[in-house]
Amino acid sequence: MDKIKDLPNFRPNKKPAKKTVKEVIYYIVGIILSAIFIMPIVYMIATSTKSESAYAAGVGTLNMFLPDFAHLGTALENYKNVLLNYDIWKYALNSFIYAGFVIVLNILINGLAGYVMAKLKFPGKRLLSFMIIFLIVVPVETSIIPLYSIVKIMLGLKQGMSVLGVILPAAISIFNIFLFMQFFQNIPKEYEEAARIDGASTLGVFFKVIMPLSKPILATVAVFCFIGVWNDYLWPSMILPAADDGSWPLLPIQTALISIKSIESITTGEVMASLVITSIPIFVTYVAAQKYIVQGFGTSGLKM
Amino acid sequence: MKRFIASIISALLVVITLFGVTSCTGGGGGGGEPTVDAEGNTIVKIMFHVDKSSTEGQAYQKRINAFNAAYKDQKIKAQPIFKARSAGASGYETELQNNQLEGTLADIITFDAPNTAAYASSGLLYDISDLIPKEDQDKFYSLNMYNGRLYGLPIQESSAGFFYNKKIFRAAGIDVSGYTAENPWTLDEFRAVCESLKRYGVTAVDMRIDATKDETAPYLLYPFIYATGGSFVSSDGLTASGYYNSAATAEGFEFIKGLIKDGYTSYAIGATDFFTGKVGMYLSSGWTIPDLDNKYREYFASRDDWGLLPYPKGVEAASATGSWSYAITNNHHTDKTAALELLKWMTSAESSEAITNATGMIPARKDVVKNYAPGSPEYTLMKQLELSGRERPVTIAYPTFSTTFNRVIYSLENGSVKDLLNSATNTLQDAIDKIKNRG
Amino acid sequence: MTKTSIIIFVLFLCAFGGFVAYDLATAKRRKEVYRVKSTATAYLMLLPAIALAFLFILLPILYSLGYAFTDYYLLKPNEINIVFFKNFVQIFEEISEKGMLYNAIKNTATFVIGVVPLQIGLALFLALFVNRPGIGSKIFKVCFFAPVVISLSITAFLWEQILAPGEGGLLNAMLGMVGVPPHDWLRDPKTAMPCIIILSAWQGCGYQMLIFLSGLSNIRKDLYEAASLDGANWWHKFWNVTWVGLRSTIVYILITVFIGACRILTQPMLMTGYMDHTVTLSYYMYNSGYTERFVGESSAVALLMTIFIGGVTLIQRRLFREK
Repeated sequence: MDKIKDLPNFRPNKKPAKKTVKEVIYYIVGIILSAIFIMPIVYMIATSTKSESAYAAGVGTLNMFLPDFAHLGTALENYKNVLLNYDIWKYALNSFIYAGFVIVLNILINGLAGYVMAKLKFPGKRLLSFMIIFLIVVPVETSIIPLYSIVKIMLGLKQGMSVLGVILPAAISIFNIFLFMQFFQNIPKEYEEAARIDGASTLGVFFKVIMPLSKPILATVAVFCFIGVWNDYLWPSMILPAADDGSWPLLPIQTALISIKSIESITTGEVMASLVITSIPIFVTYVAAQKYIVQGFGTSGLKM
Repeated sequence: MKRFIASIISALLVVITLFGVTSCTGGGGGGGEPTVDAEGNTIVKIMFHVDKSSTEGQAYQKRINAFNAAYKDQKIKAQPIFKARSAGASGYETELQNNQLEGTLADIITFDAPNTAAYASSGLLYDISDLIPKEDQDKFYSLNMYNGRLYGLPIQESSAGFFYNKKIFRAAGIDVSGYTAENPWTLDEFRAVCESLKRYGVTAVDMRIDATKDETAPYLLYPFIYATGGSFVSSDGLTASGYYNSAATAEGFEFIKGLIKDGYTSYAIGATDFFTGKVGMYLSSGWTIPDLDNKYREYFASRDDWGLLPYPKGVEAASATGSWSYAITNNHHTDKTAALELLKWMTSAESSEAITNATGMIPARKDVVKNYAPGSPEYTLMKQLELSGRERPVTIAYPTFSTTFNRVIYSLENGSVKDLLNSATNTLQDAIDKIKNRG
Repeated sequence: MTKTSIIIFVLFLCAFGGFVAYDLATAKRRKEVYRVKSTATAYLMLLPAIALAFLFILLPILYSLGYAFTDYYLLKPNEINIVFFKNFVQIFEEISEKGMLYNAIKNTATFVIGVVPLQIGLALFLALFVNRPGIGSKIFKVCFFAPVVISLSITAFLWEQILAPGEGGLLNAMLGMVGVPPHDWLRDPKTAMPCIIILSAWQGCGYQMLIFLSGLSNIRKDLYEAASLDGANWWHKFWNVTWVGLRSTIVYILITVFIGACRILTQPMLMTGYMDHTVTLSYYMYNSGYTERFVGESSAVALLMTIFIGGVTLIQRRLFREK
């Protein structure tokens, strides 16, 4: 069921001739707007095909958005260098693994919490609702210093264990609890009651009734978890140890990219090539899931 | 299904509870005793600021391996820790402070030279003045001194200068062959060359006054203030008033401002303009050498097309130096013998040579002879370092100095130098006082 | 640290217990009925979330807010002294002397006032624009969302080249074609903040567009048909049907965009560096906490900022709460 298809068309289209003109204008405006928004992608792809001189020559002209057609060999060279020399696939695999754990844990932990907050009555609930809003509001810029101490010193997550330091803090998200809570509030009671009559426990209701009804919000949370883990670089770079010789590196992709970028011999084209490669999974995920994302927000009827 | 779910959840709970329990770790590293491994080797930990897979990291690793082979009989074993600084200084310093909290600070750390005062005054670094003989100290181009005491030895050196486009200079008929590191040009001669370039019709010089987001502008431009006889802080590093806002300091900033006013340089020069032949000169550090050698073949086919000029000289000659250094830390190990052995090893002529061969930087020691051809860019940088290298101001509030310097340069075109420097001085003095009063 | 954390944990439990007891005591008055079994299930299911949230979110925040009353200096983590309100006195001095913090407050206010309406307006416009059937609008939708997922380092790199001063900047080069002289967009205090506002709105509005789209999908189609039958024009339909239907979505977006805008950090950091005319509160906190190492003072600013954002958010919720 695609909700968007059922949506009303705002513009009254009565006369066919007028309609065609309107369509043309619509597409022209749309294409111009799209161009403005995909500028960084075009720029990134164009630059990834260039040598350093070609890049420098294009700065400040519209050429910066055009690939270097004359030397397509450079493009191949850039991509080949990046793929062969810097073990990008290993780091990408790491990011996928981290993202997988984070998504599963995030949905389980925050989903359960959101469900409880939305559906159950218990003393202390009002305090927890207040704390959810409070924790969304409070700025976290300075809290990374104590967080680091908590992970490293209090929990003692070091060496291989520091992987947990990447996954566990990412597994809890107050904002996702909030999203889940809003979504579950809108699921009619009748569904649950029917299952209860069949003798299901609260946990059973959550997994057998609520979860299957919640695909849009699950997809939304999963996509944003994925984007979050994939784009994060500062925190992993702080807590993960450098790889020992020959062993598998622990760093995720963006952290590795930062170190790759700081290699002095690397060209801007190669940096961009690596960014293009690492942007692909994000885009595929987003395009594949965008239908659900809209529904996920929609049915939750977000309220603050 | 139900049991499966129940088991997942109970497993989760167990894991989380376990974390609560494991929180009993940490604490000191066992008094003043050296750390000894199962085979009776004394372990010396050394923390580097680079990624292990980088060429620099590989070079360190090789020297550590060689050390371990050489000190096998003396039962000392070096253990490197690589903590890349790529995520910014904050990551490296957060690690340092947590190591202090835990009592797991490495025996030797690497650190950026301008941090010497802050680290030494906060008790992070061990005073090695009496451990390194004077004649050994003299072999280094620069030393990490604070209040007259030695706290660190540099790994390698860097310097900067004016890269120039020989094609443009030839076409404009400008002869700079007389200006060498041994015999630098004067500030007036520098301006004269700028004037000729301007007349020829190119932007004369990229002074990097737009590079004020990080340490680039302070690192490249502070020698101009020393050149006019200016300074930033008193020799004990605790007073900025009367130094940062002195007339001689203002003169140095006025010189840079003059270059903007006279149209020799501007904030609007693109980062790649020099490399595409639009600008005559480019102020940059030694790491631009490989870029010019390799990346811009269409514009600079060979070293016939570009060269390097030293910093111009005013009442004093001054050029940029900058380095990361090694220091022994004030950690729980009271016996520093093993750490000292490793420090000496890593700063030996042999290590210095091996590491700079990998990084392409200038060796920290004068006795490491590199066969740079006289007049070559590398030679100019090395000679300049030896003759006129001056380090950045030694102050416990160096980061504040750096941001205030950037803000002065940023507003130089339209602001009054006097007002800008007064405000910078106040900000720096406040920060110094804050750290000092904290004790 | 471990000991302190355990003490905080115990205090947290006590406070929580207090609230639970209060809830139980007032249950009758509020006509609530709590069942033991349901309460036990609730807490059991909440346990993982509460445990992780306590460890990784609440505890760090409490620490960092607690540092506001200490002289924590990053290089001396083993010597933290309580100085009570000294940091706050310093903060007010810096504000009254019109120092960097004063600029930070001013610029953050400018940014919030500029970006909130712009970003929300843009998002709503884009949502209305793509809210129609057809493959074209679907492709447009994907495009509009692109800046949200592309890492900020690329977009900053690109904008730097677009806004570069002189003829080397793309914007200046294009304006030059119609005879406008080059302008230093980011250095000029008049244009710097507007540029940062525009680029932030451009970067973030795709996300709110999606939320608006879902809000639109909840508006019943027959309302539009009824309006058409009444002879309503486009504007009347927008105002009476769409705007009313989006009410709760707009409140939600207003609050979240406002909170996000108050925390603006990366854009000025990447575009201009730590300068008087673009420094923001978060940037000030970052600079004093990490770069200058005055964690105590930085935390004091964070505490004040939390109180401010929290207060405004509460007011917004009160004002716009549905009756």
